[in-house]
Amino acid sequence: MSEQIFDLKGEMSLLTVLVLHSTDMHAIGAALQAKQQQTSQFLARSPIIIDCQLLGESGLELEFTQLKMLLTQVGFVPVGLRNLWEAAEAAASEAGWALLRPSKQQVSQNTPPPTEVNLEVERPETVQRLVVLDRPVRSGQQVYCPYGDIVVLQHTSAGSELLAGGSVHVYGALRGRVLAGEQGDTQARIFCERLEAELIAIAGRYRLLDDIESNLKGQAVMIYLDQEKLKIVPI
Amino acid sequence: MSRIVVVTSGKGGVGKTTTSAAFATGLALKGYKTAVIDFDVGLRNLDLIMGCERRVVYDFINVISGEANLKQALIKDKRSDNLFILPASQTRDKDALTQEGVEQVLKDLTDDGFDFIICDSPAGIERGAALAMYFADDAVIVTNPEVSSVRDSDRILGLLQSRTRKAERGESIREHLLITRYSPARVANGDMLAMEDILEILAVPLIGVIPESGSVLQASNSGVPVIIDKESTAGQAYDDFVRRFLGETVPHRFLEVEKKGLFKRLFGG
Repeated sequence: MSEQIFDLKGEMSLLTVLVLHSTDMHAIGAALQAKQQQTSQFLARSPIIIDCQLLGESGLELEFTQLKMLLTQVGFVPVGLRNLWEAAEAAASEAGWALLRPSKQQVSQNTPPPTEVNLEVERPETVQRLVVLDRPVRSGQQVYCPYGDIVVLQHTSAGSELLAGGSVHVYGALRGRVLAGEQGDTQARIFCERLEAELIAIAGRYRLLDDIESNLKGQAVMIYLDQEKLKIVPI
Repeated sequence: MSRIVVVTSGKGGVGKTTTSAAFATGLALKGYKTAVIDFDVGLRNLDLIMGCERRVVYDFINVISGEANLKQALIKDKRSDNLFILPASQTRDKDALTQEGVEQVLKDLTDDGFDFIICDSPAGIERGAALAMYFADDAVIVTNPEVSSVRDSDRILGLLQSRTRKAERGESIREHLLITRYSPARVANGDMLAMEDILEILAVPLIGVIPESGSVLQASNSGVPVIIDKESTAGQAYDDFVRRFLGETVPHRFLEVEKKGLFKRLFGG
């Protein structure tokens, strides 16, 4: 009669990927600092994966301990390395890095394109379960509620972005990008009065408007995840 | 207390400076003491549209950097004693524009008893545009009936809600949408976005629609703000806009294709 303590699942979540072009720790440190100054709010406590594909053999030159430190300093939570040159793996493990299996197809299918970091970042200072907005979300604005739901009482514009750990409700036209279940919550849903979105995603599974059946465009819909597939149904 | 109004759009070439010139002139002719400031450092245009380009001695940057005082730099308009123009610098870099400097100039104008200060924003969302909007109480968002202009105005509306002193204090700027270069005939043909579509996307109160008119270009080239031209539809529409801004209720005009054209279209003429 033992109660189950946990489930161990293999799942893809939405993660930021840092693709290294250089092994120069000094340059990487400086670039990270600059990025942080632009977008400090956005990067705070984001898990991050380092992709070493472009480095090839020069991945051997990486100083793994220092890399971890640099990322932690600017507020990232380093998760692991991928596409690292094989001979460098031992050194990386020693420095405490996880090595992720290369899974190119899966990554390109299930992960939305890297989030643009040059957007306006508008998000509350404290952890919130709910963000309610009574003004339109404009092009270039980003609303981020990592641990809760977002409710927009007006429309969202093309070029805007809603990122919620939970569900998203839009009582108007949904024209921008919307990512629900951003931390991997597959139960999250998206509701809107008029579907005109550029991109919709739940727990990392995404679709572009072009892929959406045209009879659903402009309709009031609910979007949810059925197994691995995004389902859009009229409401 | 002066009311500071930014005329902005994001996109270039939509009619910000034309609007600023007409707006400031209209307010002054109605008896309000008005200053209009060109924030487009390096691409000075307002003086041309206002027809005072040969009277520029000192400019906005000279005042900010302490090389001249405000009184020396302000150019009195030749048509109205209530209107003053503060031109941009044509030679200096836009980095010379500082927030403290702009704040001081606006404060001095307020102390001087100006009723309205019109800030003519440069295109884009860089420093000049950011500073033009920062201290504003009202924003006039100038939009052309085409998708890229509407998208850029939407972006600017987002910035007005986050990158202004009012926003930082938890207040909000009064937003007014002004649609310029509107051609009802081209809307009817489907070449242009209709006013209703623009309002649907931007969801901002409409303060005026300025019809496309040859007299605008003519007015710009001769240095006479188009609002002076009582014969032109654009001039009349700008006058309506100023009256609405001052609180009057004025019905919108020039939104329909002229009767003859409509008749022709319906009956396949």
